[in-house]
Amino acid sequence: MKKIFIYKNKLIALAIACMLFATGCEIDELDDPNNPSVDLIDDATLSELQNLITGVEAGMRTRLGTYYDDVGVIGREFYRFSGSDPRFTADLLGKGSSELDNNTFYITGPYAERYRVIKNTNFLLEAIDKTSAVISDAQKNYMRGYAKTIKAYQLLLNLNLLYQNGIRTNVSDPDNLGPFRTFEQSLDDIETLLNEAATELAGSEDEFIFSLSSGFAGFDDPAGFLQFNRAIAARVAIYQEDFTTALNYIDDSFYDLTGDLNVGPQHFYSTAGGDLTNPLFFPANASGETRVAHPSFVTDALPNDDRLSKVSARESAASLDNLNSNYDVMVYPSQSDNISIIRNEELILIYAEANARLGNTGPAVTAIDQIRSSHGLDPYTGGVAESDLINEILFQKRYSLFGEGHRWIDMRRYNKLNELPIDREGDDVWTQFPVPVTEAE
Amino acid sequence: MKKNYYFLLAACLSLMLSQVVYSQEITVNGKVTEANSGDPIAGVNVIVKGTTNGTITDGDGEYSLKVDNGTLLVFSFIGYKNKEAAVTGSRLDIQLEEDITSLEEVVISGLASNIKRSNLANSVASISAKEIIGTTTPQTVDGALYGKFKGANIVSNSGAPGGGIAVKLRGITSITGSSQPLFIVDGVYVDNSSIASGLNVVSAAAAGGSSSNQDNPSNRIADLSPDDIETIEILKGASAASIYGSRSSAGVIVITTKKGTPGKTKIRLEQAVGQASILNPLGTRTFTEQRIRNTYFAPGDNETPQETAEREAAAAAEVLRFQNARDAGLIHDYEDELYGNKGLLLNTVLSASGGNDNTRYYGSFIRKDEEGIVKNTGYEKTSMRLNFSHDIVKNVNVALTSNYILSSADRGFFNNDNSGTTMGISYISTRPYTQLFADENGNYPNNPDAPSNFLQTRDLVTNREEVQRFIGSAKLEATVFQTDNMQLKFIGLAGLDSYTLKTTALFPRELQFQQDNNGTGGASIQGRTVLENRNLQAFLVHSFFPSSKLSFITQLGVLKLDFNRNTTLITATQLIGTQSNLDQASAINAEQTIQPEEDAGFFIQEEVNFSDQFIATIGLRADKSSNNGDVNKLFYYPKANLALNLHEFGFWGIDAVNSLKLRAAYGQAGRFATFGSKYTGFGSVIIDGQAGSLIGAQLGNQEVEPEKQSEIEAGFDIGVVNNRVMFDFTYYKKNVTDLLLSALVPTSTGYTTQIINGAELENQGIEMGLNVLAIDKPDLKYNSSLNFWFNRSEVTELRVPAFNTGAFGATLGTLRVEEGKSATQLVGIDPNNPDGVTKWGDAEPDFQLSWNNFITWKNFEFSFLWHWKEGAENVNLSTLLTDLNGTSPDFDDGDLDPSGQLQNGPYRLSQLGVSAEPFVEDASYIRLREVGVYYNLDDELLLNIFNGVFTGIRVGFSGYNLVNFFDYNSYDPEVSNFGGDGLSTGIEVTPFPSSKRYFFHLALEL
Repeated sequence: MKKIFIYKNKLIALAIACMLFATGCEIDELDDPNNPSVDLIDDATLSELQNLITGVEAGMRTRLGTYYDDVGVIGREFYRFSGSDPRFTADLLGKGSSELDNNTFYITGPYAERYRVIKNTNFLLEAIDKTSAVISDAQKNYMRGYAKTIKAYQLLLNLNLLYQNGIRTNVSDPDNLGPFRTFEQSLDDIETLLNEAATELAGSEDEFIFSLSSGFAGFDDPAGFLQFNRAIAARVAIYQEDFTTALNYIDDSFYDLTGDLNVGPQHFYSTAGGDLTNPLFFPANASGETRVAHPSFVTDALPNDDRLSKVSARESAASLDNLNSNYDVMVYPSQSDNISIIRNEELILIYAEANARLGNTGPAVTAIDQIRSSHGLDPYTGGVAESDLINEILFQKRYSLFGEGHRWIDMRRYNKLNELPIDREGDDVWTQFPVPVTEAE
Repeated sequence: MKKNYYFLLAACLSLMLSQVVYSQEITVNGKVTEANSGDPIAGVNVIVKGTTNGTITDGDGEYSLKVDNGTLLVFSFIGYKNKEAAVTGSRLDIQLEEDITSLEEVVISGLASNIKRSNLANSVASISAKEIIGTTTPQTVDGALYGKFKGANIVSNSGAPGGGIAVKLRGITSITGSSQPLFIVDGVYVDNSSIASGLNVVSAAAAGGSSSNQDNPSNRIADLSPDDIETIEILKGASAASIYGSRSSAGVIVITTKKGTPGKTKIRLEQAVGQASILNPLGTRTFTEQRIRNTYFAPGDNETPQETAEREAAAAAEVLRFQNARDAGLIHDYEDELYGNKGLLLNTVLSASGGNDNTRYYGSFIRKDEEGIVKNTGYEKTSMRLNFSHDIVKNVNVALTSNYILSSADRGFFNNDNSGTTMGISYISTRPYTQLFADENGNYPNNPDAPSNFLQTRDLVTNREEVQRFIGSAKLEATVFQTDNMQLKFIGLAGLDSYTLKTTALFPRELQFQQDNNGTGGASIQGRTVLENRNLQAFLVHSFFPSSKLSFITQLGVLKLDFNRNTTLITATQLIGTQSNLDQASAINAEQTIQPEEDAGFFIQEEVNFSDQFIATIGLRADKSSNNGDVNKLFYYPKANLALNLHEFGFWGIDAVNSLKLRAAYGQAGRFATFGSKYTGFGSVIIDGQAGSLIGAQLGNQEVEPEKQSEIEAGFDIGVVNNRVMFDFTYYKKNVTDLLLSALVPTSTGYTTQIINGAELENQGIEMGLNVLAIDKPDLKYNSSLNFWFNRSEVTELRVPAFNTGAFGATLGTLRVEEGKSATQLVGIDPNNPDGVTKWGDAEPDFQLSWNNFITWKNFEFSFLWHWKEGAENVNLSTLLTDLNGTSPDFDDGDLDPSGQLQNGPYRLSQLGVSAEPFVEDASYIRLREVGVYYNLDDELLLNIFNGVFTGIRVGFSGYNLVNFFDYNSYDPEVSNFGGDGLSTGIEVTPFPSSKRYFFHLALEL
């Protein structure tokens, strides 16, 4: 028996040893081996701030193709044919009883990506406040001005999709998101952000200590970036129907009535490693995946309009889901073409619209004629009543900014969505996208 | 908490008291032989009943043991019925009878212990080598499991060579992560990852409706060779798998490889030669001029005269293209061209096994070379194994297992895309009058119907997975202490699983979708994953027999597991000329993913057996892991079970019933969150050569904990007619609490998802088995087993709003996680329910039935396995895509439209955006999974013809999936576009079609 007891004690000792091993075997907390942690914003270096700035600029491009498809397809500028996703021709065009879904990529994708960039701007703003790196106050303000301008622009894109549903404009605390603001309040919040940024960009130093991609060439110093900021503010102001302010903003922007229509900051694309290629590019005569012009773009065009070069005749017609077109969209003829964020041609048309709405017929017609003559058309000879001018401006904008995300929004502003063509019995022209399912309150 | 351990330990150990008995000893010798043939059996356990005292027989079946006269000896050997006999003199010869009922087979009951099946309180499935490879040659280990046990839903993701199979035991157990079970091979934690090869760069599959890359990789358990396996045991739920702790909630598949038995060296050469061909060709649509006009050139509703004229002109051109092709005899059967390859299948197994009293070994060389049904696809594997076990001294044994595998799978380019580049999408877009064949110089015409020419893609694209893998273990088993009625054993085990997986995806520049400014100017995508999993386990097993009626087995163990996975994926695009070397490119992008994990745990279990009447077990496993929010918090997984063998009780008087066991078991098990769930970090982005930081989509969760599953299982086993008719019934119910969800956070936060413990899920089901040894005569045996099972799941609590997952949205039919509903429901839009979604089906079958038969008649063996899966639905988007392209084989048939007006193609299209009903299709099937006929040459013939060189020659024919019945409107109802992870099973988008296979076999033994 004694032997047994000794044995038993040994066994107990062993058992305890086992447990001590398991409980005592400390496991180390592992840092994320793959990505830098968000904690870096607590004391970012200048290069980390630069990384956040670059991240913001790069992130603006993610899912941008889907945004342009949404706006362009609903605005009946082009069809997005896809052999593998029928919803471009069903949901977006309201085929039969199809409706826009609140949990489908066409809204959830771009919506989330814009807010992701906004989150990055919020991290950037927080990091600027907390950094102990030696950076002048003026430069810190430039960074803030950059962050807020981009943030405002990203909010605007989401507001364009959600329209009267409004958007959240204060999203800095993920646990306590700000409320959905109405459409008008959202526009006001965006304007406020832009104006704060404008103040911050009006510093005394000549250059940014941070760099942007070559897409911002000419706009990558405080003065140039401020002009970009004012251009966006002018677009917002016409959405707000505040045309006097719009003209003020136009004045401070890079607007140039007789200047190059294509001047303006751009999203940079390239085929370089890790970079993104232009999502709006499809090769000519592609089948399966392609964007083809809405037939009315060609049939409605005036003779000699050189903007018809934005589409190219196909070797054979593209057809899908009872939709047909003989023309490919060729706004961007290669996959490394940049996409303009806002350019002089739009500013001229904003200038025309604001003047038309303010009753300044002369300047409005001057601007219209500038656009017409630039594209091989004779001067405007139509009526000069406000509604005539607006129709003419909308028509010119349709061709000048074809495929650049405006027609749907412009027609909506003037309650003219019912003038957009219906291609199939039962199709609908949507006014706005539903609030994504994840935002349900 | 610690106090509780001591209490538990004290309770366990207090059971270990004993007394030592002395009496008079004699030496008994004897020989154990097989009852039918009279052949000696080596390796038989000879144990004094109720003690640990015993020995095993040598190569000649002989044993020798010192015992008391009159002692009862128990003779046991796997596959034979136990026999008890009293020692009445110095000689005791024994004949063992083959056990058809499997009541005597041993089944694992702890991390270091086994139990007789007749005493088991769980429904643990056990599959023998005969069942795995006895009928036909399976492609992979998991592919060999179909229909062979109850309680699993096994789905092959596609027909691509090299495997890719999802095994789900007793329903789905996780929503976010893998519901795949844990695989343990000879004690080693074996990786079963599916690692994507980066095809998404070209397919852009994740750019549309789903963010999953849909690369269709194989799962790495495919590396194991079924031919090496002795048994597979399946612990289906937490009640049995609890001992494996935090990684076991999806069940555990425990694989034991062959070890060799003492005796003459057996050398076996098996050669199988076979052919694979498409399982269910669909045919193609027959085009006419009118059909072309109706399908592709229907008038628009508000056409202008100019538009009408343009449409008419285009229609005329297309009709002319058709007429020209028809008149030239150039209407093609592209299905046959793409999927019509008759794949040659070769499987060679050379094995040797044998040993003596101290040493046993098994070695094998296996070579598999299988062509796919698409040209340029196939699977090659070379595997070498050496298992070795040696008794250094009596009671100290070392065992080594080692397995080296070299494999290569060419998997083609299939499944969903958003670029029209996969062969599947391109094929369904292509009209049969389109010309795709290369000219005599090898130049392929561009496909006018799709962005890619699938014949060119097939011939020029490479998508290869190559694996070099080593799986090995070293085990030391030593009896530390032994008396007549007590034994203490130490078992130490070190295991290693290590592989390098090389994925190569080459898309040369000259492809239609890579040339002329299309695509990325060629792409060379090369991935490399280095995996290293190490585990160390140590156990003490104490067996104690206070009397011949009572036994206690106590186990203690500790474990330390390290997992390390490092994947780099380099994508080179804008290639120079025809180069594929990564540096011959103007754009190079690299990604790296590192996944280190570290677990530590301990385990304690007590098993009590009273006279084989009551068998009770209690146990506890505790784990901590770097995967948890709190890395040093221990999570506990208890278990308890009880088996009652009523027929062993004195009062049992029903002679007709030979055995009746009641059993009940309870246990808990866990599953970790996906690696990295706790981190919030910045991803890397590049613009114009500058790298930037952009916040990741995931909001990390510092509080994340493992999912915890509790399972209760109860049932009975009954045997009648000398146990020749056995019936078993099991009911289980398992609840997963703290279910991990990839919760959608409001995306205005900037984040998309957060992994949270946010739901509860219940699975319950019934499993029934009937095994009948219908005929048992010396020259005719017929054994038949019928298995029936079903599972029902319900999301019992959901702390986030209901969400769609695992498919492409409600328009097309999707899985939806919703409180109070089945976890695998398939819902979609419905015109009669405009504000919500309607359930159109369920991915979980209503029931499954399998019928497995083995017949031996003289020298013939005949076996077949039928498998019936009833009432599961799939989301079939292949058909929708063929409709959209006007190429569906049944486009012009008219059996679907309830109003009888529209043909099938137009009808289904008319429902697009109206109702998801036509896309959710019944995926039930009945199929002859396996069938085999073999002939074994008899001994006389062997002696006469081959002069006795061979001890056995076997020839045969077998087939896999030869006969299939299903209504499903595609290649195979068994399909999954998203692979095996999470919920998304049964979603189909132009997969690699399944094949049926048949083989001729020749086996030589000497």
